[in-house]
Amino acid sequence: MTLNVLVITDQREGHLKPSSLEAISEARSVVERSGGGSVTIGLIGSGLAEAQKEAKSQGVQRVLLADHESFKGFSAAAYAFAAERMAAKLSAPLAIFLPDTAMGRELAPRLGAKLGAGTATAVVEIQPGASGGLQIKRKVFGGKATETVNLLGTVVLSLRPNSFAIHPAPAGDPPVEPVEVGELPASAKGLAVERVISTRGDTPELTEAPIVVSGGRGLKTAENFVLVENLAKELGAAVGSSRAVVDAGWRPASYQVGQTGKIIAPQLYIACGISGAIQHLVGITNSRCIVAINKDPAAPIFKVADYGVAGDALTILPALTSLVARNKGA
Amino acid sequence: MDILVCVKQVPDPETKLRVAPSGKSFDTDGVKFTINNTYDEAMVEEALRMKEEFGFTALRVISVGPPRAEEALRSALAMGADEAVLVETPADLPLDPLLVARYIAAAAKDIPHDLVMVGRQAQDDEAGVVGSALGEYLDLPSYSFVTDLAPVPANHLLKMKRYVEGGEEVFSAPFPAVLSILKGAKDPRTPTLPNILKARKKPLKKIPAKDLEAKVSALQGGAKPTSDILAFTLPPPRAGAKMIEFQTPEEAAERLIKLLKEEARVL
Repeated sequence: MTLNVLVITDQREGHLKPSSLEAISEARSVVERSGGGSVTIGLIGSGLAEAQKEAKSQGVQRVLLADHESFKGFSAAAYAFAAERMAAKLSAPLAIFLPDTAMGRELAPRLGAKLGAGTATAVVEIQPGASGGLQIKRKVFGGKATETVNLLGTVVLSLRPNSFAIHPAPAGDPPVEPVEVGELPASAKGLAVERVISTRGDTPELTEAPIVVSGGRGLKTAENFVLVENLAKELGAAVGSSRAVVDAGWRPASYQVGQTGKIIAPQLYIACGISGAIQHLVGITNSRCIVAINKDPAAPIFKVADYGVAGDALTILPALTSLVARNKGA
Repeated sequence: MDILVCVKQVPDPETKLRVAPSGKSFDTDGVKFTINNTYDEAMVEEALRMKEEFGFTALRVISVGPPRAEEALRSALAMGADEAVLVETPADLPLDPLLVARYIAAAAKDIPHDLVMVGRQAQDDEAGVVGSALGEYLDLPSYSFVTDLAPVPANHLLKMKRYVEGGEEVFSAPFPAVLSILKGAKDPRTPTLPNILKARKKPLKKIPAKDLEAKVSALQGGAKPTSDILAFTLPPPRAGAKMIEFQTPEEAAERLIKLLKEEARVL
C-alpha cells in the first residue's frame, strides 16, 4: 500500500516551526514504511518566501503554496478551504499531517470534517495499517491510558510536538506550485489580527520546548523564581510554573502548566519546589523524563517522577545551573 | 441573541481506570461520572458572563450521550443555563468525536445560536475535535484557544485574544461563530441549593439519536464514525522516582546530570 502525505505546516514569523519539521520527517518515515508514495508540503499564509526555501530542502516531492494576504491571520475556515484545494491535487490513499499546535489543533478537525476523514489529534505514534489506512496511538485521561485507533480512508492527523524525531532530509529539489484558492466562503472572512503580544521574550515556548524547568511555591518568594529561570537559560529550556505561583502573582498565567494552563510533553521536565497536585500532574504526565526537586520526600510529585532529589530547590538549583554552565564550557 | 454551549459528562478524574472486557475502552462498571467536563463548566460560566455583561438573551446547553448525561445538563441548568437538549444515544451506537459533532450540528439546526461555545477538550478522550468540526458542519467560523472575549453585539463582532505559541494575538472577527476558550474570565460558580431545585423544573428536551440520523447522514462523513478504537491500554504503573543520594547540593547536581545524560539520555 503506497501512501501520499500532505503536511500542512505551521509557521512563525515566516519560518517553519520545529513541530512542522517533526511532522514532515514523520511523513517521510510513514511513506517509507508504507512501501512508497509521496510527501507534499502545503504552505498556507502570507509572506512565505523563507518558508518556501525551508520547505524545498525537506526531501519532499512537492511543495504547494497558498501565499496570500487573506491568509495573514489564521482562520480555521479559510485555511481548511485552502487545504482542501491542496488535498484535491493529490491522489488517494491520502493522509494529511499537521503539527498539534494551537493552529494545527483547530485546523485538523475542521479539515477532517470537510473531507469526511478519519481524524485524530495529539497523535504520538503512527503505523501503516495492515489493510490500508493508518493506525495511530494517542494518550488519553491525562496520560493515564493509551488509545490505539484505526483510521480508514482519507486520514487527518495532528502530531504532538516533541513526540517524533527530525531525521536528516535527503537531497532534492521539489517544484513549488502555487494553488489557486479562489473566492473564500463567507465563514472564512472578516478575521483581523490587530497585533501579537509576545509573552516569552527569547525563551522557548512551553508547549514546544524539548526541556522545561518549572517552579512552585517551594521557592518561597517571587525573587527566588529567577533560580528556575537561570537553570532554564543554561539548558535552553522553557520556563513553567505551578498554579500556586500564578495565583500568588509571581509570574503571569502564561507560565502555568496543568489542567487550567498548558498541557506539555517535553523530553525532560524538571519540577522545582512543586508538590504535584493532580491539576498540575495532568499537564506533565506525558513528559518522557520527569525530575522532581522537593524538600518533602513524601510529596506526590515523586510518585510520577523518574528521578527525585529530596532537597531544597533553593540550594540544588544554583548547583545544577553552575554545573550545566561548566559542562558547556568544557 | 442566543448562546448554545456543548457539554460532555466525563468520568471522575480520580477514578481508577480499568480496561473493559472488550479491550477497546475503559470499564464504566462502577465508575463515578462527574457532572461535567471541567473545561465545559468554564464555558458555561463564560456564557453566563456573556448574558450578564453583553446582553445575550438565552443560554441553552446540549449534550450527546446516554440517559445519565441528563445529570450534566441539570448541573449546567443549576449554574444558570435556561434550557437543555440531550441527544440520547443508545449504548451500542458507535461514536467518534467527529460524529458527535455531526449530531450536535444536526440538532443545532433547530436551536437558535449566535454563539456556539465548546470546552477546549474533554478530560477523558482529550480530542478537542468537536469545536472546529462544528464550525465546518454549521458553516460558521470558529475561534479557538481564546483567552479574552468581548463581544460588540451591535456590529456582530467579537473582540478577542487567543493563545498562540510564544504569545497572544489580539484580533477581531465576526459572529455567529463557534468559540472555544482556553480559560474563562471567572472560575465556574458552584450552583446553590435553590438553583439546583429550580434546575429540576427547567425545560430539558430529549431527542433520540435515531431521530437525527437523516440529518446526520446528509453531512460530510455520514452517520458512521470514521475512526475505530482498536485498543485501550494502561501503562505499567510508575515505579516511583529513583531517589538520588547526596551530601551536598553539588553532589546532587553531579549525580542527577550524570543519570540524565547516561541513563535517561535526555541531555
